[in-house]
Amino acid sequence: MGVVHGDLMTLNIGPQHPSTHGVLRLKVKTDGEIISEVEPIIGYLHRCFEKHCENVTYEQVIPYTDRCDYIAAMNNNFGYAVTVEELMEIKVPERVEYIRVIVAELNRIASHLLALGAYGLDVGAFTPFLYMFRDRERILDLFETLCGARLLYNYIWVGGVSHDLPPGFIGAVYSFLDYFEPKIEEYNELLTYNKIFIERTGDVGVMPPEVAVSYGVTGPNLRGSGVKWDIRKDEPYSIYDKFDFDIPVGAGEMGTVGDCWDRYYVRMVEMKESVKITRQALKGIPAGDVHQALPKKIRPPQGSIYKRTESPRGDLAYYIVSDGSPIPYRLKMRSPAFTALSVLSEISQGWMMSDVLAILGSLDIVLGEIDR
Amino acid sequence: MSDEQIKLIEKAVANALAGDMDAINDIEDRVTRSKAKAALVKAKRLAKATTPAEDPSNTDELKVGDSAPTEKSLSEKVAACLNEKFPNSLEAEDVNGHIQMKGKNWFKIAQYLRDNPDFLFDSLQCVTGYDFGEGEDLEVRYNLHSMTHNHTIEIRIKTDRNNPKVPSVEQVWRIGDWFERETFDMYGIEFEGHSNMIRILCPEDWEGWPLRKDYETQETYHGIVVPKVKDGWE
Repeated sequence: MGVVHGDLMTLNIGPQHPSTHGVLRLKVKTDGEIISEVEPIIGYLHRCFEKHCENVTYEQVIPYTDRCDYIAAMNNNFGYAVTVEELMEIKVPERVEYIRVIVAELNRIASHLLALGAYGLDVGAFTPFLYMFRDRERILDLFETLCGARLLYNYIWVGGVSHDLPPGFIGAVYSFLDYFEPKIEEYNELLTYNKIFIERTGDVGVMPPEVAVSYGVTGPNLRGSGVKWDIRKDEPYSIYDKFDFDIPVGAGEMGTVGDCWDRYYVRMVEMKESVKITRQALKGIPAGDVHQALPKKIRPPQGSIYKRTESPRGDLAYYIVSDGSPIPYRLKMRSPAFTALSVLSEISQGWMMSDVLAILGSLDIVLGEIDR
Repeated sequence: MSDEQIKLIEKAVANALAGDMDAINDIEDRVTRSKAKAALVKAKRLAKATTPAEDPSNTDELKVGDSAPTEKSLSEKVAACLNEKFPNSLEAEDVNGHIQMKGKNWFKIAQYLRDNPDFLFDSLQCVTGYDFGEGEDLEVRYNLHSMTHNHTIEIRIKTDRNNPKVPSVEQVWRIGDWFERETFDMYGIEFEGHSNMIRILCPEDWEGWPLRKDYETQETYHGIVVPKVKDGWE
């Protein structure tokens, strides 16, 4: 008996659909309930980021980077600032480095909370979303006291940060961490080891490591496939080499290495590691002036640079070419979510319609960053 | 020129020769600054003429900021290896943090770089289009990375502005598919051998190549007036 093939049906998901995490259209070709092809169609949120950058000064680019990955704006500021600093050979004060690491790791936790909560929603668990948003709110409150903004911070500048820590901030972060750490166990009980959740995600959408590498997938998605690669460890920038933390990788606990559950769980464990880093940074933070190294004019010498940093979604890199003027000649952003989305077609073939949304959710994409 | 100005310029040039370009860039007065820059070029030329031993950092070429000694030697190693395996495929012999290559054999070279056990560049990190300016050439820049050896190189391929064509590496690194579509979308560089060379971020019927330096926005799109960008952003 051969396999019976029916006619392929083309189905459109999006551009406006709650489970596409933004404005994304998926052109799905299905054979009955089985997926034979998924073609993501992107560009609905294209705002000409790179073209804009060629018309504004280096300082003015920073608010634009906020708006690329609006879930983890601190990390985007961070990556950009580090890149321009390396091009200009600026050494920033120790205090600034510590502040940056603290806010970047807090933002990583906030980003992962949103990713995990929304992932629960994608596969039908509504409650964990509310718990995770409750805790994410606390981080946003901390950021509000820090710089006045809750989502788009414009906080990390080239050569420094916009404000020093407000009085009582360190204590507030400590008490948040004390509150938050036990909550991770709560999420695990609520969602991670839930039988229905495991059925929906374990063994689904397996991404073998060589596929992940070939598609340029990075960050938690790559680590979910069992590849131990983290720029904070393998190519340390800022002061990440001073901290002691582990890189969690997927182990195939609930199925095969590289399935949706692994990608989900890597993020869960990563939050613990972020807490660890934040605690060490809070302990070691020195005194100093955060505005000391701010350059009067940002006018990098002629040259080009490609610099990678670890955002919550993976390798976030900026390629900057300077012609010696205060305006970038060329600025390219290598977005981790862009590469993560490109693998969707490959890993969702042969799965059911409902699994495609589970796979898409597990990749944790942000359309603002994909379309730029 | 006042004595004070001359002194300022001399000091700034001395600092710049020592590697601190900010000394010149920080001069407030525009005329003085440009004079200082001219003096710097002159000083550099003089230094080159007197000392035949060339200092690579003094060339006016665009310099890669990230020039750790190990990385530089890797680029040189790769270039030497490619010169041997694929003669006449390099555009320039000297390696200055990146490898300037001809487009001709790029697909085969890419496969070689990925599979050679010494290099194992299994990850294509980034593809950047680049425009040298109105009427000049276009360029594609590839940042390669090896997961095994944890090293990176940059490869640049120039192509003609009026007929920009570069071989596609979609089959070598799968992410090449989307990266090349993006470069095509923004610069109009066609990647030969790509299975689906269509726009990715802009709408399919958009006119022109937005990131080229001589780009002019179309006036209307489906009857909607495209707002003109005013000169000088606030």
